[in-house]
Amino acid sequence: MVMHPVLMIAIPLLSAFIMPLIKKAHRYFAFSILLLNTALSILLFAKVYNEGALYETIAGFSPPVGIYLAVDNLSALLAFLINIFATINFLTSRQDFRFSMLYLLGVAGATGIVLTGDIFNMFVFFEITAVASYALVASKKDRKATEGAIKYMILGSVGSVFMLVGIAIIYSQLKSLNLYDIAARISSMDPKMMWLSFSFLLTGIGVEAELFPLNGWVPDAYEGAESNISSFLSFGPSKASIYAIARLLIIFSMSRTYELALYLGIVTLLVGELAAFTQKNTKRMLAYSSIGQMGLILIAFSLMDKTSYAIPAAFFIIVSHASAKSALFLLSDKDGFGDMSSKYAGLAGVLSLIGMPPLAGFWGKWYLLMGVADEKIWAVAAIIIFSAVIEAIYFARYLYKNMEGKESSRNSIPAAVMVSISIVMGILPILYNMAGGVLNA
Amino acid sequence: MRKVAAIVIASAFFAILLISFYQIPQSGYSGSEYYYSNPITGSHANESVPSHYISGTKNETGAVNAVTAIVVEYRGFDTLGEVTVLFTAATGVAFLLHKGKGGKKRAEANLILREGSKLVLPFILLAGAYIFIHGHLTPGGGFPGGAVIASGFLLMMLSYPKFFMKEKPVSITESFAGITFAVIGLLGLLFASSFLENFLPLGNAGYLLSAGIIPVIYIAIGFKVGSELSSIADKFKEVQK
Amino acid sequence: MMWPEYVTVAALISIGLYGVMAKKNLMKIFIAISLMETGVNLLLITIGYIPEGTAPIENGNFVKYVDPLPQALVLTAIVIGLSVTALALTLLIRYHSKTGTLEYRRGMKW
Repeated sequence: MVMHPVLMIAIPLLSAFIMPLIKKAHRYFAFSILLLNTALSILLFAKVYNEGALYETIAGFSPPVGIYLAVDNLSALLAFLINIFATINFLTSRQDFRFSMLYLLGVAGATGIVLTGDIFNMFVFFEITAVASYALVASKKDRKATEGAIKYMILGSVGSVFMLVGIAIIYSQLKSLNLYDIAARISSMDPKMMWLSFSFLLTGIGVEAELFPLNGWVPDAYEGAESNISSFLSFGPSKASIYAIARLLIIFSMSRTYELALYLGIVTLLVGELAAFTQKNTKRMLAYSSIGQMGLILIAFSLMDKTSYAIPAAFFIIVSHASAKSALFLLSDKDGFGDMSSKYAGLAGVLSLIGMPPLAGFWGKWYLLMGVADEKIWAVAAIIIFSAVIEAIYFARYLYKNMEGKESSRNSIPAAVMVSISIVMGILPILYNMAGGVLNA
Repeated sequence: MRKVAAIVIASAFFAILLISFYQIPQSGYSGSEYYYSNPITGSHANESVPSHYISGTKNETGAVNAVTAIVVEYRGFDTLGEVTVLFTAATGVAFLLHKGKGGKKRAEANLILREGSKLVLPFILLAGAYIFIHGHLTPGGGFPGGAVIASGFLLMMLSYPKFFMKEKPVSITESFAGITFAVIGLLGLLFASSFLENFLPLGNAGYLLSAGIIPVIYIAIGFKVGSELSSIADKFKEVQK
Repeated sequence: MMWPEYVTVAALISIGLYGVMAKKNLMKIFIAISLMETGVNLLLITIGYIPEGTAPIENGNFVKYVDPLPQALVLTAIVIGLSVTALALTLLIRYHSKTGTLEYRRGMKW
């Protein structure tokens, strides 16, 4: 079968356009489109895995004149993760057809960010996801949700302006918008301009990726939103944008930019984990913990140029965080894990986040520590272990509080399925190692 | 205190921006330092991306307006995304605003305004349609054309307090226009080799019936933008208290 | 270097940034964001401009055309800015009906 990754973006967009015409069956329709997308992403990964990176030109003009999609192992896997979690998470929605439309558009945007190979196209997909997320966060019609959404929107819009300034500076120097063309010719750019455009782009994407000075919106938006939307935010836009930062690092690939990313990651990790430690409110605690995990992912990506452990580490932390944290957010609409499936989901999710073998979170931290040990940067290793200990303490408190509770969330079964994916993905590394390191491509 | 800090940060930012703009060359885009490399084959071209657009528009897309050629053909995927952002926002507005109770009773506009706007409405719609149909020949296109159409409906809303857009026809127009765009893209995948690729004859550049799929897509965009903007304006009118 | 244009761009963006940081009224904050967006649009257009260039519409006799790509990008950026503004106004209407004001609360600071 001829595989076109563009279908994974075009089909959800088309079906969102169709949705107002078939209001009645919107939930089944949206669900089947998401399932189809997940199936396509599996096919895409199989193809990329067997045949190497895949390029698809759009509108028939060879890049950089036209836009193209560039899919490698990591982006195919991320597209798969985003779509499968979106499919499972969608089971918990109980809203009208406009909700389904916004949800589909948000998922299509996040998939687009991961797949595209053009920087301005990436910006457009950022905006699709962002605008859909603003509306979704505000879908709970109370004051807190509105405030969270407004805050998210202010920071997000300022971030998109910064991103556009960064793109404009790159364009003024190279007259090209294609990521790989930029990467090939970036050395001809003035170093000062390189730094300026890098910092503008990092600031812009950093808002969505929840990096430290720019994440003021995170706790409010996550707390205010409906629990399935907090879950969507934690596997969709944030994961896609941290991947965008990874691509940015590869493009600029100066040792100083990697260093900057490492420091940012460390600060984000510490701030997130310490703030989570002091939080009483469950959703805010989970939100700050997400910030910490994003810092951890950024640390992993910032070691990309030094050690081959970096990308597997980042991937497993992303898997563990996307599945476990999304599941915990789904469970967070009630205080307590009353029934079996929510007990299972809560326990396994927390264990994966803390990093218990053989769950995905363990492999993420394991590879990360291996990479750090290779480089002999012991201070970073100490910080990672210190934050893991803090994480263990506040998650133990969280488990203790919730296991007592008699109530249980009605989202417990989807949450359990999400966590199970993380468990399966945690066992797979053994297979990956046998296959010789898939992710290092 | 807050204001002082803001002034300091903003002026520092002003300085940074000026320093960075100082380095932007203004010598055009055709210099050899801008020659691109193809990321798939790795081969180097001996032209820059903008010069390719200038020299290739007529032969490759059949349009004479290079901006339109870029918006609809070369970077058509961006435009699909852009239409989607607007669609997302319109959906979000409808999703978030409660249905109002008709709003405050406003005074009737006077006779001249009422009759005058009735008189100019058809011409405004015609001008909008002209702009988006001729997008590949003249400045303009689907977005300005759609905005002109929406301004006609906005004028009606202002002069007749009771004027409202029927939700169903508007949302059906919106949907069909969006579907047309996406389906043309998919047909490109089917009849040519890639998404949004042109599969219609290019015709004689400079004539109305030319440039392949560009006019079709721009007409769809015109309808879509027009209906979306008018429905957003209509939604805002309903909640007025 | 075209001083008037670039100074305007820098001024628009930094005035917008000042507004976002210093103002308490949410409406004013979103106006400031629109200012920033306008600044970026002007920046893109200025980058694409070459002295004595004309609009890139082929008309037979050869003339110097300006760079068409930034103009296409600005078209996209304008529409995106418009969409964000529309959604922002919606949220402000909601906020106003919940709180009776457009100032943000102290706890909402960042």
